[in-house]
Amino acid sequence: MRFKSTWKRFFSEPGFAVAAIIVAALLIFFILLPLSAVLLRSFGVGAEGFTLEYYQQFFQHSSYFQALLNSVGVGIVTTSIVISISVPFALYVTRTKSTLSKAYRGLSLLPLVAPPFIFSLSLIILFGRRGVVTNYLNDMFGVEFSIYGFWGVVVAQVLGFFPVAYMMIETSLRSMNPSLEHASRDLGASQTRTLFKVSLPLASTSILKASLIVFVMALADFSNPLIIGGETSFLASDAYLLVTGQQNMEMAAVLGVFLIVPSLIVFLFQTYFIKDTDTTSISGSAGNQNASLNKGLQGITFGISTLMTFFIVIMFIMVVLGAFVQIIGVDNTFTLDHFSDQSGWGFIYTSVIVSLFAALLAAGLGLLQGYLTVRKNIPAKKFLEFVALFGLAVPGTVMGIGYVLIFNGPPFFLTGTVLLLVLNMAFRKIGVGLESGISKLQQIDPSMEEASADLGAKPTRTIRKIVMPLLSPAFMSGFVYTFMTAMVSVSSVIFLISPGTNLASAYILNLANQAALGRASAMSVIMIAIVLVCMAILKWLERRSNSGI
Amino acid sequence: MKLKLPGVLLGSVFALTACGDDDSVSIYTHNVEDEMQPMVSDMEEETGINADFLNLSSEEGFSRAESEFPDVGAEVHWGQLHSLALLAQEEDMLGSYQSPEWEDVPDEFKDPDGQWYGWSYWYNELAVNTDIVDELGLDTPSSWEDLIDPQYEGEIVMPDPSVSGTGFLFVSTIIQMLGEEEAWEYFEQLDENVGQYVESADVPGQLAAQGEYAVGITWDQAVADFIEEGYPIEGVVPDEGVGYDLDVIFIYEGNEDNENVQEIIDYVGSEAGMESAAEHRSMVTKPGVEGIAGDEEPNMIDYDALWAAENRQDIQDEWDSRFNS
Repeated sequence: MRFKSTWKRFFSEPGFAVAAIIVAALLIFFILLPLSAVLLRSFGVGAEGFTLEYYQQFFQHSSYFQALLNSVGVGIVTTSIVISISVPFALYVTRTKSTLSKAYRGLSLLPLVAPPFIFSLSLIILFGRRGVVTNYLNDMFGVEFSIYGFWGVVVAQVLGFFPVAYMMIETSLRSMNPSLEHASRDLGASQTRTLFKVSLPLASTSILKASLIVFVMALADFSNPLIIGGETSFLASDAYLLVTGQQNMEMAAVLGVFLIVPSLIVFLFQTYFIKDTDTTSISGSAGNQNASLNKGLQGITFGISTLMTFFIVIMFIMVVLGAFVQIIGVDNTFTLDHFSDQSGWGFIYTSVIVSLFAALLAAGLGLLQGYLTVRKNIPAKKFLEFVALFGLAVPGTVMGIGYVLIFNGPPFFLTGTVLLLVLNMAFRKIGVGLESGISKLQQIDPSMEEASADLGAKPTRTIRKIVMPLLSPAFMSGFVYTFMTAMVSVSSVIFLISPGTNLASAYILNLANQAALGRASAMSVIMIAIVLVCMAILKWLERRSNSGI
Repeated sequence: MKLKLPGVLLGSVFALTACGDDDSVSIYTHNVEDEMQPMVSDMEEETGINADFLNLSSEEGFSRAESEFPDVGAEVHWGQLHSLALLAQEEDMLGSYQSPEWEDVPDEFKDPDGQWYGWSYWYNELAVNTDIVDELGLDTPSSWEDLIDPQYEGEIVMPDPSVSGTGFLFVSTIIQMLGEEEAWEYFEQLDENVGQYVESADVPGQLAAQGEYAVGITWDQAVADFIEEGYPIEGVVPDEGVGYDLDVIFIYEGNEDNENVQEIIDYVGSEAGMESAAEHRSMVTKPGVEGIAGDEEPNMIDYDALWAAENRQDIQDEWDSRFNS
């Protein structure tokens, strides 16, 4: 009978019931369905009927299996390197009083606003077979090497994914209650011992989470392997080539399944097994500062951070230079030609529009779902939360293939529309709005809403006057995140673009593939500038609106 | 901050549906951005028709259209391999339209039913980086045969024939010249020297131009472009002769009555359209319009596009099993 009463309660507020049903339907339609389609298609369902043939092929055809091994290998190597740089970097920023650390922090986050593959471009310019550095090394020491392949992908990924891991680890090191470290020191432990016995263990959950996320990102990476992977095969890029080059949806789906499984495991693991274990040590007590690192540690962490920052900056400089000279490394005369790209500007415009709408939708729906989850007793809310968050973890390539399978024919026919691009981007990021909405709502006492209701306000008025203003920071974080990632993402939208709805990120990839490095660099520079400007505007709006409440 | 969420969302959905373009023509093309952009701009100026295009490699464009058919995402394919157009024709994917502007173009370049029109033809060419050749003490290759010489080990870059039309043209040319068996032996030997197989036709040219590799197997226009841009590149037409492919434009079935689409076909065949194309191609099909190559016609073999179309799948499968696994 409990079941019945749940539904009765559910429909006692018809407005919310309808909202919940709509949210549920959208999540199922735009996240679950495409994923199921990929899974089913890997077994031949939707084509010839159920068969294990494609999995058999996967293991027999050595190049596919090799792609799996390469992707996993790259994931492990990239993750190890990223973590062993992020920890000292975060220590340097949080545990020293150096003024440089602030600058380092800002510079280290730069890769977030750039298309994920621009490091591949700069790496080729610098370390290609006849790159600037390669040539020099060859002339001086007779060393020859090639950046194409496994190691090129690793280096590009380390540079691109570093900020993600770094931010998580830094947050945890920063928010750690300093008295623990002080206690350890007071009891006579050396700083190194304190670091390894107290600080790092406390941060271990974040470090583990960061490792898992970087691992999945590296595994699912699509654009770096495409540009710098050379002859080495990788899962996501192979899946893309199977779809676009051969329309072999079944095999692409199999590769997709091998991409989903690890992300699903990692997602389950980090959402349900290592959640909230380190929050106990986090306290808001300000004032008491963490002790600075001793000279030795400071030296080591400074060295590592400087090297990393230097690399990131060099990479960006290469892209900017590439945009402003004829042909970098060959003909270094200044030019603005690369910027006079008519279609390029059009695609940038489309990208901005699509990203804005996707961000609105993701943040709005995410918050709505968060509100329903926390405040209203809707059925299956855990499941819906799971779906939304899993959407975040699914590799873009898989989502893209799923969208092609579902929306590329009757009865939906959404391919080729701007709407489909918006929906794809929005539903992949809806989890961010949801998560920040939930955490914000849990901090807000429901009594405020009850008070409003008791004073005679209708639910809509309560939401408008009480809930929404309180939630606007959560909305902003979902919005900003979605906007930023939507601008630079390629892996899933690359399957959905069509004449008239091409996007800047896909266009840059295309230019890079056509080896038009100058224009690819120019477009990257424009895009980085736009993302930075938009974020500055949003930050300003946020600050203004916060002071207004 | 006040946000009227439902209103905003509803508004955005309406705004988006209004976003969809209505009367501009959608085009798939394998022409690279550099040539397609100016050609489409010229066309828009001349005819007043708005067009959006998406660049896809030949194979990509073919397989995409094939899977989308009959709801192909573009009305026109402007720039596709002759052999792939023939394949699409065999699958009844093409609409027919008799354009008056194409009358003076020789019959060998167009379909009698007006299902496809060839506007340009091009051939395989080697891009040789003269600096690198000097630096490494290599000979400048002058024939296909030369390319399997061990001195070029790791120094050759070519497009993958399962994705790139230029790559496929090269492979099918060699097969037509040497016969199946000998040709595959040749490719096995060539494989020893190939440093990288890449996805599209201009990339080998670019990589050779930048000095990443000494020799790129590419096509005539890419070579001309990189020379013009100032790279140390020399074009080599192999002694044995080269295969050539006609670049065609066609309408996807169901769009043949669309006046804008017809006008685009007319434009491409017109004097103005051919002049515009001739700025980017070595040879165009309209008599009297001279491409960049001028009078210099390379030694072209009697290339059989129909044979290439019919054997495409087998060749690609064979290639995949030998070199892509």
